[in-house]
This record gives sequence, structure tokens and C-alpha cells, in this order.
Amino acid sequence: MAREVNWERNHDPVGIWNGRGKAVLIGRGHSPTDRRWDGETLEKSLGAYMMIAVQNALDDVGIGLDDVDGIIGSAGGQGNGAPLSDVWGPRPYFDAPYDSEDGLTHVTGQWLRQQMGFKNLRYINNHGDPVWNLIGQAAQAIADGRAETVVVTYPNGNLPGRYHQDPSNEARGPAVWPNTWGWGLSGQGFTFNQYCQKYGTNHDRMAPFVVQERKNGLLWEHSYYAQHEPGEFTEEDYLNGRMIARDLSIFDCDRPVLAAAAYVMTTAAKAQDMKQKPVYILDHTESQFTPRSLVQTIDDTEEWTDIQAQRSYNGSGLKPEDIDVFAPYDGFAVFTQYYIEAFGWRGVKRGEAHDFYAGDISLKGPNPLNSGGGNMGTGRMRTVFITDPLEQLQGRAGDRQITTKAEVAVTHGVLPITAGTVVMSTSPD
Amino acid sequence: MAILLSFDIDGTLELGDPPGGVTTEMVRKAHEVGFIIGSCSDKPLSVQRKIWEDMELTPAFVSAKHQLGKVKRENPADAYYHMGDRDTDYLAAKDNDFGFWWAHEAAEQPWLEFDMNNHEQIPISPM
Repeated sequence: MAREVNWERNHDPVGIWNGRGKAVLIGRGHSPTDRRWDGETLEKSLGAYMMIAVQNALDDVGIGLDDVDGIIGSAGGQGNGAPLSDVWGPRPYFDAPYDSEDGLTHVTGQWLRQQMGFKNLRYINNHGDPVWNLIGQAAQAIADGRAETVVVTYPNGNLPGRYHQDPSNEARGPAVWPNTWGWGLSGQGFTFNQYCQKYGTNHDRMAPFVVQERKNGLLWEHSYYAQHEPGEFTEEDYLNGRMIARDLSIFDCDRPVLAAAAYVMTTAAKAQDMKQKPVYILDHTESQFTPRSLVQTIDDTEEWTDIQAQRSYNGSGLKPEDIDVFAPYDGFAVFTQYYIEAFGWRGVKRGEAHDFYAGDISLKGPNPLNSGGGNMGTGRMRTVFITDPLEQLQGRAGDRQITTKAEVAVTHGVLPITAGTVVMSTSPD
Repeated sequence: MAILLSFDIDGTLELGDPPGGVTTEMVRKAHEVGFIIGSCSDKPLSVQRKIWEDMELTPAFVSAKHQLGKVKRENPADAYYHMGDRDTDYLAAKDNDFGFWWAHEAAEQPWLEFDMNNHEQIPISPM
């Protein structure tokens, strides 16, 4: 579905992107990572953390506030710019003069401009999509000349209380089927169960993937686990996880955390004067689908992911064997295999992902899948899906640096039903 | 008599996430009095073991929450109690014929009132 300024590339055939190589992702900045905000301590709010992340991103590339002319962000890490507090943690405003949650549980570009003192902004957009879409949108804005140096902001938070509780006591329409069993979870398990039946596999075969992601995540300094729970997560841990829906374990679900990240994107020309190596955006594509029935099925899922993967290959001109660094989303670990198989990374075909997991997907091996650890290894920030491919291509991933070639990266998320894919390269061509 | 106390962690123990009202000192005292103690939580088993290490206590068991029945089978006792802050705690206790305290009740250490020589398990109350 095209929205806003019709920037999304979601109508086939997309063709090679006319902005190819014009926009560069060059720097990143992160805040501390906490489990949740206490709702009171301002210096630990999403707004405060977003400012830390923005400043760190600017410092990372050696530019100042006055060098930035665009902010594109997700106000609260939620769809359509919805504040975090509206989604699962409704809370009253602080006493007057507060009349907004801006700077507390969500963070707009306008708020950042006022608080940090940006003077030269000519483009602000709080579109509110997942981070892949935001990177795509910023790349398009730069390619279209809307801005030259953009800060992409992605605050993602967590509040006290139950995560994603639906406050309604009613389930109407299609919600009658899944919502009586809890938010979104039974549907994920249902599709995965269909996958297992179709291909003769089972939930336990997910263990090597999740365990490896947790290992990788411990090597990312911004990971919740690296900062707060640095012990090894074992196969025994995974296999003993409580099932919260059929074929969906508690350890298939990312842990909600509170953190902010910012990225500096600019033109290929301006990147030459910045401190880090430029990583060129070769393509961005997006998609949004509708289930053919009341709930998403494995047939829907495979069709949608096939369309999006093919769209990305058509837009970038790449083939599966060209992808060195692959970062498919894992917010529910049980849907990552759909992406691997759709993109055919490392030759994996439909139904083969669990065999692939059983092989060598270690960080220093031949198939370093999700070298940053994904959400399973870092917490529900999603930003490792941008930071890790960026750092891998810049050769500054430290202990996470893969030993295989790292010249082209593809990062993809968020859900099979609505996704964005970003293709990055060390070369603009 | 042997009486088993199963502690949920998050929202129940002070070392949980979020912290609960049952302190390490309360757990230690239960151990010293002679209760069979351990944890039954959604936390990974390896993390539960680390928490017990941090408390400098050796638990009789660590278990996933849905495996409370296994705890009962593997730890013979005259009475069994679980405590926690979620419906899942209550249901796990109910399904396995444990007595149950909500986390805020557990913070009052009701087990210290027990006669360790003559105790009959308190039936679980309706939710």
C-alpha cells in the first residue's frame, strides 16, 4: 500500500532503483538498553535515550547538528507513528504543563529539533514504520533531493505491565478467532505448525538457530543480554521453554526492552567527508498483503515472502549468491525460515531451513546467519538488523566480524504480511 | 515432615524482572528452617541456576513453570506450595495439586506459621 509521498517501491515490476548508489548509510548511534521505563525517571525515558542515540550517531561520523537537514523516524517504534503508551501501556499525562507523551514514550522529529537545537532541518517525517522501511524512506528522500543528510530515529520501548495486552473484553469480526487466545501469538504458532506438517519437521529443530542467535547477540554491546543477562543460553533452555501457543515457545518471542538508535544517512558525495566508510543503498522495496481468509496460512506466507524476495532481487539486480550478509527478521523466531527460503540464501529451498540450521550457521563459519544476533539475541529493538550489516560492511563489527566476504548485505523485516527489504553494498554499482 | 516451596522468579523474588517482594533473606530463612526449596519460572533454566548462585543457595530443583508436575514427581514431600504473580502460576499450581500464594501473599512468609511436625497442605483457593 503506497502512502504519504508514495515513496514505497511496492508495485511490480519495480525495476532497478533509480536512486541506486546515491544514498549512503554511514553512521550509527545507540542509547543504553533497559528492560523498561519506570514511567518517572526523565533521563531514562525514550526521549532522553533518543537524544543520546542521535548525538552518538553524529559523533560516529564526525558531524554536528547543523549538518543535518532531515529527520525521518518512528515516534515510538510502533506502526503509523503510534505512541508506545497507546499500544499496550496506556498512562495518564504528567501533571500540567505536560499535555503530551512526546519525548516520554514516543519521540517525534519536531521534539528532537526543539530539544537538541537542530537549525537546518527542511524535512521531518514521523512516518512510524519499522526500521527497514525508515531506512528505505530516508534513502528515497535523499535520492529525491528532499534532504542531503538525514538522521533516522528508531526509539523502541517497554513499559511496566503486560506486553501487548488487548484492553478490550470483546473480540469482533476476524478477531473472534485469534484474540480469544491472546494477542497475535496463536496465529504465529498456527502458521508454523502448518510449515512443520508440510515439510515434516518440528519445533525442536529451531533450537540451533535460536541458540546461535543468542551467542551472536552477546557479542553486540547494545544487546539487552550482553548488558544485563550475559550467560549462555543453551539448547536445554530452549527445549524447556513453555509453549504459549501451539508450536510457539516463550523463547521464540523477543523480549521487550527500552532503547533508542539513530542512523546517519547522506549523499554519496557528502559521505566522502565523514569519518566512516560509506555503505551504499542499492535498493529498497516494500510490501503489504492481506490474508485470503480469516487467518494467515502457510500458503499466504510463502506467497507473500516469495513476492517480496523477488521484488528485492528485481530492484537490486542481485542474485541469491551475491548476498554476503543476510539479516532476516526474527521477532518471532518461527518465521525467519520463511525469509531464508524465499530469498534462497545459501541455496536454501522451501522446507530446508531447519536442515540449514542443523548445519554450520556459526558466526565464523560459512553461513553466518544473523551475525548480530537478531531480536532473539539482543531484545526487541530491531536495530541490530541495521547496525550489524552496516558494521559488517564497514569492517568494524569487532568480535562479530564474519570471516566470509562482507561486501553486500540484505536486511529484511518485519512480518511476512508487511515487510521492507534494504540492500546495502560497499560499492555504489 | 517434608514441605516443598516452589518460587516463581519474575514479579515474585526480589531478584526477578520485575522485582517482587520475596527477598533473598526470606528464601534463605525458608531453607534454614528445613523447607525443600527451588524455582519454577519461565526464565531459562540456566538463568535460574545463576540466580540461585547469586543467592548463594543450592536449590533442590529448577524448573520451567509448566513442568511443576515433574517437580512433584521428582521431589517426594508431604505438602507442596508454589507462589507467583501470574495466572500461569496459579494454573500450574492448581493443575498439579499444589497449594498457592500470590506473590504479595508470599512476601508475608506464610510458611513460617507452619508446624513442621504436623502440617496438612492448604487447598488452593478459587482464583
